[in-house]
Amino acid sequence: MWRITLKSLLAHKLRLALTAIAIVLGVTFVSGTYILTDTIHNTFTSLFSTVYQGFNFQVRGVAQFSNAGTAVRNPIPESILPEIQKVPGVEDAAGSVVGYAQFVSHGGKAIANNGAPTIGASLHSKTLSYLHIVEGRAPTTSHGVVMDAGTAKKYHFKVGQQVRVLLLGPPRTFTITGIARFGDTANLAGATMAAFDTPTAQKVLGEVGKFNAIYVKTAPGASNAAVQRDIARILPRGVDVVTRQVVVNEAISSINQPLSFLSTTLLIFAFIALFVGAFTILNTFSVVVGQRTRELALLRIVGASRRQVFRSVLGEAAILGLVSSLVGLGLGVLTAMGIEALLRGFGISMPSGSPVLAARTIIVALVLGVGVTILAAVSPARRAVRIPPVAAISDSHVADVSLRRRFTWGTSIAIAGVAVLGIGLSNHTIQLVGLGALGVFIGVAMLLPAVASPLSSAIGRPLARTLGTAGRLGRANSMRSPRRTAQTASALMIGLAVVSAFAVIGASISKSVTSVADNAVNADLIVYDKVSSPMSPGFSTTVPKVVAALPGVTMTDTIYGNTPMSGQFKFRHSLGTLTAVSARHLAGTVRLHMTAGDSRALASGAMLIDATVAKSNHLSVGDTVPVRFALTGRSTVRIGGVYKLNPIVGSYLVSDSYYLSHFQNPLPSAVLLRTSGGSSVEGEVQQALAPYPNVQVQNRAQLEHSQLAQIDKLLGLVYALLGLAVIIALIGIVNTLVLSVFERTREIGLLRAVGMKRRQVRMMIRAESVILSIFGAVVGIIIGTGLGVALASSLGSAGITAISVPVSSMVVFLILSAVLGLLAATWPARRAAKLDVLAAIAEE
Amino acid sequence: MEDNAYQDNVHTAGAAPVGTAPTAMTTGSGNGSPAAHAVDLCKTYGTGQAAVHALDGINVVFEQSRFTAVMGPSGSGKSTLMHCMAGLDNPTSGRSFIGGIEVGDLNDAGLTRLRRDRVGFIFQAFNLVPTLTAAENITLPLDLAGKKADKGWFDHLVGRLGIADRLAGKPSELSGGQQQRVACARALISRPELVFADEPTGNLDSMAAGEILSFLRMSVDELGQSIVMVTHDPRGAAYSDRVVFLGDGKVVGEMEQPTADSVLERIRTLAG
Repeated sequence: MWRITLKSLLAHKLRLALTAIAIVLGVTFVSGTYILTDTIHNTFTSLFSTVYQGFNFQVRGVAQFSNAGTAVRNPIPESILPEIQKVPGVEDAAGSVVGYAQFVSHGGKAIANNGAPTIGASLHSKTLSYLHIVEGRAPTTSHGVVMDAGTAKKYHFKVGQQVRVLLLGPPRTFTITGIARFGDTANLAGATMAAFDTPTAQKVLGEVGKFNAIYVKTAPGASNAAVQRDIARILPRGVDVVTRQVVVNEAISSINQPLSFLSTTLLIFAFIALFVGAFTILNTFSVVVGQRTRELALLRIVGASRRQVFRSVLGEAAILGLVSSLVGLGLGVLTAMGIEALLRGFGISMPSGSPVLAARTIIVALVLGVGVTILAAVSPARRAVRIPPVAAISDSHVADVSLRRRFTWGTSIAIAGVAVLGIGLSNHTIQLVGLGALGVFIGVAMLLPAVASPLSSAIGRPLARTLGTAGRLGRANSMRSPRRTAQTASALMIGLAVVSAFAVIGASISKSVTSVADNAVNADLIVYDKVSSPMSPGFSTTVPKVVAALPGVTMTDTIYGNTPMSGQFKFRHSLGTLTAVSARHLAGTVRLHMTAGDSRALASGAMLIDATVAKSNHLSVGDTVPVRFALTGRSTVRIGGVYKLNPIVGSYLVSDSYYLSHFQNPLPSAVLLRTSGGSSVEGEVQQALAPYPNVQVQNRAQLEHSQLAQIDKLLGLVYALLGLAVIIALIGIVNTLVLSVFERTREIGLLRAVGMKRRQVRMMIRAESVILSIFGAVVGIIIGTGLGVALASSLGSAGITAISVPVSSMVVFLILSAVLGLLAATWPARRAAKLDVLAAIAEE
Repeated sequence: MEDNAYQDNVHTAGAAPVGTAPTAMTTGSGNGSPAAHAVDLCKTYGTGQAAVHALDGINVVFEQSRFTAVMGPSGSGKSTLMHCMAGLDNPTSGRSFIGGIEVGDLNDAGLTRLRRDRVGFIFQAFNLVPTLTAAENITLPLDLAGKKADKGWFDHLVGRLGIADRLAGKPSELSGGQQQRVACARALISRPELVFADEPTGNLDSMAAGEILSFLRMSVDELGQSIVMVTHDPRGAAYSDRVVFLGDGKVVGEMEQPTADSVLERIRTLAG
């Protein structure tokens, strides 16, 4: 029986290849994701091992609290250093300062590589430093800086040139004294590095008299354990000594979270592609089993058992799955590089390294590829089993499972899917949401044959009217097997449902942003940090002073916190980001919609929280809540009011005086301005802030626009990732059409014999394809819209306050589907038109 | 790929009534037990007014080691009779037997084994698996059972059929006559108790048809094979030992030692 399975596979190489593509693409996506993230992980791991070498111990402040692998630590007094140097067995010890420093390019732009950190650091003794100066030398004065080789090369800086550097305080100009590499690489994942001598670093990085860490190297022959114990003994409270391995492991684990986020996101899209692929396979196998009815029945006559037929079909699927998975795995390696390029195109930078193919990747790819193929072939295999032997000699049709039973099942699955989806949405459990959506898709796909004929008929009516006989026949062909039409369309249905759902969510986010941005600020101009670097703690404190001094500016309100690098504190048991405004100007610059309490409570040292935080923590005005700050430790704060979500002030709002007493040297993250009006004031502000390339001045409309642009960019990435699923669905249509053409060889031959032109044959096939595509698209868009509205409305707490259905996008999707359907028909139509009339009729 | 347990299964289940009956070719002719017989076999399509009685209470016996032809006009129930007796179709009522086994008692697995081990089929449309070579098509029933072909028997069959040099060819590379000879070899390879041939010469020219019929005749004479052949060609029927005439789902006549002329004469009488 295996021989028949194999021969059957090999006898239909074309069919094999077409079906395989669906799986190959899905597996490519999955394995590509794994290979990509493994490669990045590997690159970082070796990078960290290289960077963190040369020392045995690190002395540092204990973590106050940590989030996402990044601990918030207080700096340690530099007076510890001489004490440590005196510990027996310590060969060398050096203090290190790390902070924010950002180069300005020759053209006056703040340099940042796609969101990678811009690091300012101290250069210390040669043995302990991870920076290797490859050109020039270390700075000897407070005017010198060492630049990383990557930045120097990319932005054309040379030793001896001047460079402006953005710092906590006012920007300063330095002379480049040297170019350095990180360990042995030029580039630390896009990070830039400005290294100063230690006193300068302490000054410009805001840590005068302090270090962020002290690195210790033990003398040869000294007992590491003893040295660590002796160091620990002399350390003050709140300071810790850890081994090099701990530091390396922490660094590695700090990239695991964003990496696992990346891989999860990509895998979700990969699974969508595989799911759509499964429908394509199911469809192809169904058609193939239909076409092989006589052959399978013959096998039954000469003695094949049902089990043998079942295993033959599944075996065919297994081999197909295995071969496709292997090809997919190979392509995955290439794709990993492709995705990397794609992400880079969307502004997410990845370090490069040779691709890592882990055993896990191979196993998952094979299990998924083979599993999905076999699973998709089960239903066709069961149909094959039901073929009666007598079908070999008479034209008896395979008894289908009654449509009623199918509809009962389909309805049950769809309803169960909706229920699970509902539970998932209300509990915010993404897995349940996914499972529910899966159920809805499968259920609807099972119900689809019920509407296939009437819908195809309706969609095909205009085609039948305009294209004459060819259009009428195409429409009739799409109606004659509701089951096949439905199966073919279901892959596209799912693809478009997901696309539409994202379109609805995207439009809703855009609308929410618009309405929120409109309602968030009273200010005429907003000066804010571009946040081009995640290291950026804000901008110079001189910025508010500069703009306040301008004649057209009538009111300024400086906002602190509310960025990834500032305002971190612990609110009850969870980490939060604090925002501060001046209580005096609040009413004039920020629009707060209070749902409880009074915003004036800020002045008395109370905290305002947004409604979502209040709800999830069951807090109301007057409650006292424990908080904790890295610098000042535990404290409590009174809740003075509750406001509706406002993106400018985030979730936790205090007065600037409160903020300044809990954070050391905080930097402004935004300045809100009221002006005497006119674009001339805007020009003056721009002009005045020209020396600060990391700040941006926008009016309200621009702010809104730039936020919308970000959403569109993200949505673009999502569409690109979903594109694969749509392509797989289209391959399914190509596949079905080719098989249909083959099946109808005699019929097409007959049509040609009675006078149908080749052009009309092509038109007929195309008409059918377009009807199929529109059918799938219509149902998909309807379901996707429903799904998107449900998802968006459950995300109210995440900032989606308005629901919007982008009708114009939906129309574009529909038209695009029709065009893609036309495209999908190109090849099958050509094949059909090329059929030799005589041979087609004579064919048995 | 089949394991031994499955083969054991084949022999212990289904074939219970006759146990391990000796195959037809080793049994002498006319020893009483028929190769197949039907009792009051009825097959009705549709219900009520629209009911069509394809078989209307047929009683027929096909003896061992004899070549029986079944004749009748179109719609007389020839093919339906064959399908029901071979277990390819379910009769509405009545019973049919292959050897001593009641076909109606068998479930799908039992029917599969019956077809595979005890019955051979030859069809008008050859019905070879297009992806397999001639040799592979011949041994297909054995492959499905997980058995090895008896080399001597295989060589004997292909030698007698004159297809020894075409064994590597695919069905599409063979002439109609050659394809039907491959089908004959496939029907006989498992030494079945009975071969059903459904219009085996319907798609062949008279020369090729003659070769097939001579082979069938020879297999009855030399090997003691039992054959039931459905045909409407009097010249084909003349190769048989006995002709059973059907009409409107009933047996309407029989003839021993037919000739083409006597069969033609009888058909005229029946039609008249």
